[in-house]
Amino acid sequence: MGMSAATTAAEGIKFCIFDLRRGQQEGQELDKILFFFPADLPFSAQLSVIGLSEGLITFTRIFSPAAACEVIEAERHSHVFYEAEPDIWMVMVVEKNESEAIWRIDALRKVLKEVHSLFLMFHGSIRTLIEKEPAGGLIRSHLYPFIMDYLSACQKRSLLDNCCWDFLLGKKLQLPSFRDCLKERGTVQMLTVSREAAIEVQSLVRVLESFAGNTQFYSLILFQDLLVSTTLSPVDTINLFTYAVLRLTPRALSSGVSSWSYLRKGSTTSNVATGSILAQSASVSEQNFRSQDTSPPGGVNSHHIARPLQPDRWSKGKDGFLVTDIWGAEASGSTSATPTIWLQQTEERVYVCAYQYRSLTLILLVPVASILNGEQGVLVVKQQILENASLKMFQIEEKLSKGWAGENAYHVSGYRYLLVDGDRDVSRASPPGKVTTLTKESLLALSKVREEVDLEKGRMEHDNAGQEKDLEVCIRAKNNAWVIARITKGKELYMVLEKANETVLYASDAVEKFSNRYCNGAFSLD
Amino acid sequence: MSGKASSSQSSVGLSRSSALSHVYIQYPPLRCNVPGSRGLFYDDGNKSILSPTSDQVFSWKTVPFSPLVAPTSDSISEGPILSIRYSLDAKFIAIQRSDHEVQFRHRETGETFSQRCRPESESILGFFWTDCPLCDIVFVKTSGLDLFVYNSELKSLQLVETRKLIVSWYVYTHESRLVLLASGMQCKTFNGFQLSSAGVIRLPRFDMAMAKSEANSKPVLAAEDINIVTVYGRIYCLQVDRVAMLLHSYRFYRDAVIQQGSLPIYSSRIAVSVVDNVVLVHQNDAKVVILYDIYADSRAPISAPLPLLLRGFPRFNTSVSQSSREDSGSSEANVVPDNEAVIYGDEWTFLVPEFICDVANKLLWKIHLDLEAISASSSEVPSVLEFLQRRKLEANKAKQLCLAIARTVILERSPVPMVARAMDVLVTSYSHSVKTGSYLKGIKSEKTSPCSVPHVSSPRSGADASASRVDALEKSVKHASAAGVDNEYASDSEENPSSEPPKTNLSDLQIFDGSNPLNANGSEEQEAQLTSPAISPEEMYSFVFAPVEEEIVGDPSYLVAIIVEFLHSANSEKVKVHPNLYVLTVQLLVRNERYAELGLFVINKIVEPSKEVALQLLESGRQNFQTRKLGLDMLRQLSLHHDYVLFLVQDGYYLEALRYARKYKVNNVRPSLFLEAAFASNDSQHLAAILRFFSDFIPGFQKTSDHNTYYRILNEMNSSIAA
Repeated sequence: MGMSAATTAAEGIKFCIFDLRRGQQEGQELDKILFFFPADLPFSAQLSVIGLSEGLITFTRIFSPAAACEVIEAERHSHVFYEAEPDIWMVMVVEKNESEAIWRIDALRKVLKEVHSLFLMFHGSIRTLIEKEPAGGLIRSHLYPFIMDYLSACQKRSLLDNCCWDFLLGKKLQLPSFRDCLKERGTVQMLTVSREAAIEVQSLVRVLESFAGNTQFYSLILFQDLLVSTTLSPVDTINLFTYAVLRLTPRALSSGVSSWSYLRKGSTTSNVATGSILAQSASVSEQNFRSQDTSPPGGVNSHHIARPLQPDRWSKGKDGFLVTDIWGAEASGSTSATPTIWLQQTEERVYVCAYQYRSLTLILLVPVASILNGEQGVLVVKQQILENASLKMFQIEEKLSKGWAGENAYHVSGYRYLLVDGDRDVSRASPPGKVTTLTKESLLALSKVREEVDLEKGRMEHDNAGQEKDLEVCIRAKNNAWVIARITKGKELYMVLEKANETVLYASDAVEKFSNRYCNGAFSLD
Repeated sequence: MSGKASSSQSSVGLSRSSALSHVYIQYPPLRCNVPGSRGLFYDDGNKSILSPTSDQVFSWKTVPFSPLVAPTSDSISEGPILSIRYSLDAKFIAIQRSDHEVQFRHRETGETFSQRCRPESESILGFFWTDCPLCDIVFVKTSGLDLFVYNSELKSLQLVETRKLIVSWYVYTHESRLVLLASGMQCKTFNGFQLSSAGVIRLPRFDMAMAKSEANSKPVLAAEDINIVTVYGRIYCLQVDRVAMLLHSYRFYRDAVIQQGSLPIYSSRIAVSVVDNVVLVHQNDAKVVILYDIYADSRAPISAPLPLLLRGFPRFNTSVSQSSREDSGSSEANVVPDNEAVIYGDEWTFLVPEFICDVANKLLWKIHLDLEAISASSSEVPSVLEFLQRRKLEANKAKQLCLAIARTVILERSPVPMVARAMDVLVTSYSHSVKTGSYLKGIKSEKTSPCSVPHVSSPRSGADASASRVDALEKSVKHASAAGVDNEYASDSEENPSSEPPKTNLSDLQIFDGSNPLNANGSEEQEAQLTSPAISPEEMYSFVFAPVEEEIVGDPSYLVAIIVEFLHSANSEKVKVHPNLYVLTVQLLVRNERYAELGLFVINKIVEPSKEVALQLLESGRQNFQTRKLGLDMLRQLSLHHDYVLFLVQDGYYLEALRYARKYKVNNVRPSLFLEAAFASNDSQHLAAILRFFSDFIPGFQKTSDHNTYYRILNEMNSSIAA
């Protein structure tokens, strides 16, 4: 899987989350820190990173109060900033100038964004958790395992996948580098379906919806690792899709038995080691929190911190439903508690019922408020799925499987491409196995071009509110490959043509052909 | 039945459940009363009631049925009358005078001649006229069948063929062209012949089932126990088994007779009628009627046994409407004999297929189905719709009921799977009716009735019917007729293997005259003009979805679910959906702000692209620019270049619009639009570019006022910048 061989030492990459509203008095600076990686870094070193970041933020806010700094490029480091919630900042510091450690800042920011979005989905906002327990123990005890699980999410999206989902190998963080420039984090990948299949899918979706009665259920349907249908808002769709691909799809479930398990084992042990310091401090404050808790002694579960990103905790039950003990077990102990997540759009807490039939995964989200008797009510919904929806799912699975051309379904020979529809947060790219055939020069060139395009996009957004500008970049790399970027009406196309003719006319014809055949002519407007 | 009056009446009757029934006869009846009548005879070949007196015969047409029809009369000679029938070309009257003699009278010339048989060895059981090419008239004798042609030169009958068989009694209906000849000790062994325009088909001999009573006595089958019924173009025989209290059914194929199962009976006296392909089993003793729709395998009755209702009878009908009161008043004095109102009286005779003859009172009633009552009696919506979609006689009423039911189930928010099945029934039925051509027939030709399928050799089906067919029908129908498939149902049996017996090489005996008369014309009822209750997608939109959308309260996503199910059915039946329905779908999704789903609908083409949809997306996109883009993209993909360019300009993308217009040669957009847009953006470079563009590509542009105006403006802009 062509893992980039970056030997980024723990001090090479730093990742922290801090709250500007905390620890403003001298001697209390440690209060600011909500999360720090690596955790075994001395507090003084942690504070110096955060102090620098805070200084930069305060300084840049003078010029741009609404959007403070996004990135600081120092000689040897890049500081990537992301204001996750008001005054809650995530900062990632990466080392530069290593052979493989060539970063695209926007890709790194998307990582920060993804961590936070997933955290919101499972635990709600950081601010809420802070307010719940001002000492900060609660939020720390949530953030630490969550982010460590995320970073160690040793998840390959396919055996040929070059994408570094596993950020943490031992002490090494594997962040998206130039090799991932034909990918776009924070988008969903969709299955192209025939009209007939699409109608059947919608029919299934409506049946699921009809279970709800007066409230609204939401659903997400995936085939393999591709989205087929969603009734969620775009932001919730992205989060749940990301999670499903990480943990729920057949491939994610089967990864537990793959040859990659030793890596994960390695990383978890190191987690324990590296996390020990912060874990200790967290447990101390957690005890504080417990002593202050005035809620009736409900049991162990009240302080059970779910670790939804922990690997290998989901499995497929006999009835087709996916089960996990991440959210703890019921008092009876026989059945696991149904997972719940937060929807950002509606700020509802919903139960997650995942049902799987072969390649088809259905995720039904049932608002907690709509079910009076808790787990019992969820069982009723599950029964309804089995009775009224499973048959339709079988038919759809059969139909989709017939039309599914496999992993390389979206390969277009001669092209290595990434297509992003920014309006719908959808992307499609050449299969990873095909991207690996590109030379390093091509990938570096594309990464560079993307970096430039990212900047230009930021400028365009700033300059023309409401007006979308088109953009076209076409360069000839050192290895004579054509590297092309096109932006038209919110749609982006990135492309590498390695064995292409030398004229730019050829390259633009190639784009035109691609656009007409695969993008409904979206990039061949003039 | 007088159209609207009766329907309003029936709805009143429904709410007063005391008069609940599914089948009714409408007062007033046809009165066949003439002084000196010697009884009533039904001539089913001509569908008329005959009442002979000593020297005359009166004839009332029963089709189209009207209580006010005046009889025609012919003079006949005196003598006993065992049976009487007009020839199919209406030139002759044949009267069976005795067991040995049938007398013929030419109606115009008055000439008569007789045909006799050998009195010592055989006797004539009866006779019937036929449109079989082989012969004109068939005598059924105890020794078999004699087939005759009329020789106009000799003015006598010529024997063309004899079929030697022992016959105890026989049953014939002109509708099926089928004669069944009973023989044997119990009269349960049958020979059958179909004498149709396609020739003579001899059916294999078969026995009917008879249960034995406890003693050794073997029951004997009587002619009145046998009913030939034709439903959906298939011929069945229903046989009463008095011992087992069962009604056995047999289906006739060209080379086989296959028992189909049995229906229970609850009365020793049974009569069978067929109204609009629905089998009515009258349980005379119980005075109730049970309805069966023998279409699929199911032998379950449509609904519970209910009495036959006499509608519009003046004595106890207080809510009678104005029009029917006038009717009754004009035809009869206020004194109405009580015995006319006796339902299932002893004197009732049931005539094929749908008449009741009250011999004592010399009345003829026509049986009607109360579709409203039937559909109201069942909550199984899909099966009710299936039932209604199969109705031909009151197609319009069935259609209106279907539309009303569809609206109701949606408004009541019935479970989606149930509504889905209902939609499927309607779409499948429409698709079927388009394939067989009956839908277009109903729309285009107002005067041909559906079942009256004319065939070439029928003398009366006439040129007018086939002529109207040619101009009215689509190719598919022509194919059908060319292939000799005379009835649309003939193809049904192949499409519904479930209703078929295991053997596959069976082909139905075909029917060469539908239950409707050949000479039915538009005068009968307005409703008869519509020949199929099938509902097109356009009508589904106009009469179901659009009205429901206005009325439905609360979350419209339920309606979206129903539309999806409708599209599902339409897609699997390859039926094209009206763009308005897609426009409605877009509106509903937008109303719920379900833009992401709307995107899925458009991108997966669940909502098929059309200009209407594109414009709706652009309109709805005022709140959501992604949706607006979907609309723009759709315009572009539909190659509606002109509209695309206009909307681009409208959204401020005038340079892009210009490039696009150049590429796709959109020449008819006014330059002023672009110039105004560029001027509005206050960008002198853009304005200059546009001026240059039009100067280069539109000949003579430089002489237009647009050019002059904006050239001056451009100069002003530049000078102000310079200054």
